[in-house]
Amino acid sequence: MSYDPLAMDATRIPSRPSPAPRPFFRTPISESVPVKIVLITLGVAFLGAMIFLPLAAVFFEAFRRGAEPFFAALVEPDALASIRLTLFVAAISVPANLVFGLVASWAIAKFEFKGKSFLITLIDLPFSVSPVISGLVYILLFGSYGFIGPWLISHGYQIVFAVPGIVLATIFVTFPFVARQLIPLMEQQGKVDEEAALSLGATGLQTFFRVTLPNIKWALLYGVLLCNARAMGEFGAVSVVSGHIRGKTNTMPLHVEILYNEYNFVAAFAVASLLAFLALFTLVLKSLLEWRYSGEIAATGRSH
Amino acid sequence: MPENDTHRHVPVRIDIEELGKSYGNFAALENVSLTVKPGELLALLGPSGSGKTTLLRAIAGLTATEEGTIRFDGEDATMLSLRERRVGFVFQQYALFRHMTVFDNVAFGLRVRPRNERPRAGEISRRVKRLLELVQLGGLEKRFPSQISGGQRQRVALARALAIEPQVLLLDEPFGALDAKVRKELRSWLRELHTETGLTTIFVTHDQEEALELADRVVIMRAGRVEQVGTPSEIYDEPATPFVSEFLGGVARFEVTAREGEADVLGGTFPLVGADPDYSGPALAYVRAHEIEIISRERAEGVPAVIRMVRPFGPTVTLELSIEGRQDRIEAEVPRELYNGGELRVGEGVFIRATAARIFRGS
Repeated sequence: MSYDPLAMDATRIPSRPSPAPRPFFRTPISESVPVKIVLITLGVAFLGAMIFLPLAAVFFEAFRRGAEPFFAALVEPDALASIRLTLFVAAISVPANLVFGLVASWAIAKFEFKGKSFLITLIDLPFSVSPVISGLVYILLFGSYGFIGPWLISHGYQIVFAVPGIVLATIFVTFPFVARQLIPLMEQQGKVDEEAALSLGATGLQTFFRVTLPNIKWALLYGVLLCNARAMGEFGAVSVVSGHIRGKTNTMPLHVEILYNEYNFVAAFAVASLLAFLALFTLVLKSLLEWRYSGEIAATGRSH
Repeated sequence: MPENDTHRHVPVRIDIEELGKSYGNFAALENVSLTVKPGELLALLGPSGSGKTTLLRAIAGLTATEEGTIRFDGEDATMLSLRERRVGFVFQQYALFRHMTVFDNVAFGLRVRPRNERPRAGEISRRVKRLLELVQLGGLEKRFPSQISGGQRQRVALARALAIEPQVLLLDEPFGALDAKVRKELRSWLRELHTETGLTTIFVTHDQEEALELADRVVIMRAGRVEQVGTPSEIYDEPATPFVSEFLGGVARFEVTAREGEADVLGGTFPLVGADPDYSGPALAYVRAHEIEIISRERAEGVPAVIRMVRPFGPTVTLELSIEGRQDRIEAEVPRELYNGGELRVGEGVFIRATAARIFRGS
């Protein structure tokens, strides 16, 4: 048991036949009341100004002219097309990164090999590179003056300024989410469970589906959720490779930008509010998962 | 499929020949040869880094070796995979599947069998229940590993390993993670379980008392090599090397000079260990605490010593003594009566003598 002075105090105070508590004693880590007030006010003000206000503004602007223009902006054909495209891109890139992330984490956490730390660095690359650069890389590769672009185009495959380019750029940008979530957990769990399963006669696949996967399911779900949020919200990389063809290669974030540049504020904020709602929904789900998954970790960690 | 679940197969003999394994420059196992008799309970004993766990994992097929062979009943198992060897392995931290109940953990090995070998659900359930009763955990089927105690987890791990009807049972530090009291209880229980299953069983431990108390034979390892193999009494009475003497503990070490196969230590003269009748030169002598006797307080026989501390609990009384020319104190275990007589007090001078000692050549 670790010694927790706060918990001790909490249990002891009520049982005391309460002589007046000493007025000037403070536990070493607590602050005086005025300092507390100042710090808390600062924190709340900052949060309100930087996070809450902008979010509220999105919804406020979206509904400025009432509900009707709001819904009209959402069912407008180009808006619907952008929503469809965004969902389509996410539906490909999220499962792809689920598989890649799982495979990469498995390799990194369960095996020792040369170049392992290089691989970990590579996985982090999309986080450290500006999304615009990520997009440009695909133009350089697949564009009409790129490395393999001309060959592909001459064979009838259009990658950039088309849906495949958007999907590729999104996969690139969202690649780290699942892997980053899984690697620390899988490294902490080690490979002894897998060894146990194999020693009991399980095949590799049985071991994976019955032992490895259940051990990481919450972290995996959490990673997929973050990956999905980013896949739907990605702007920079997608903007570079999309070509901005209305109704064809415009995702929701790109559609928002176009509407805004056309001074169509209500429509812009209406679509934006949809994205914001998605973000909020993701956060709620994430919190639920975190709550669930931290409970699981606490109950089943290898404490002894 | 045998009807009875404690599955008395004919126990397997294990022959290990010249096994070698290295990690870079570090030799984890070096030329290890060993025969494990059918149905034997064998302890691999040694300090950490001595290669005992590596050897156990090599026998299981969890760790690949570079040299040598492992045979189960004469059949070469060296290249067989973990699955094919059919060993029951109990991991140090048990490695129970945390998302499965106790029942599902034990049933795992039966459920993952190929369809044509897999027992029916009712049969699995019957077997798991019997195994859980065997390890005295009946009624805990629905609990999760996090909801049971360390000792119970240990026994679930054992039941799970036994469920696959293993050829041999291997246990890595089976009591390592348990507190002292549970450890003692489980020790005698494991001994009984071994009698009941009759399986050839090997366990790893760094606790010499555990090894000597539990095992039929003990293998003492050091730096990837086998230092001595023997029954507990052989190991205890005739430690073969200075390392074994020191590792078993409870000894005082003296640097002495041998003359023609004999050496003097603490007022006694004893022969060298091993057939080396004429050796003269530096030697090491080991004397156990209970091999030191207090002769008297007055007669100037033996070696003078001063009592520095008295530990008067247990069946014998332990004295810490200082003698001239020696920095550290040596311990002597003396009968209680001597203490009850009121003659042993801190600061008092006595004369002591060794009644036995093991002397090895070298320094």
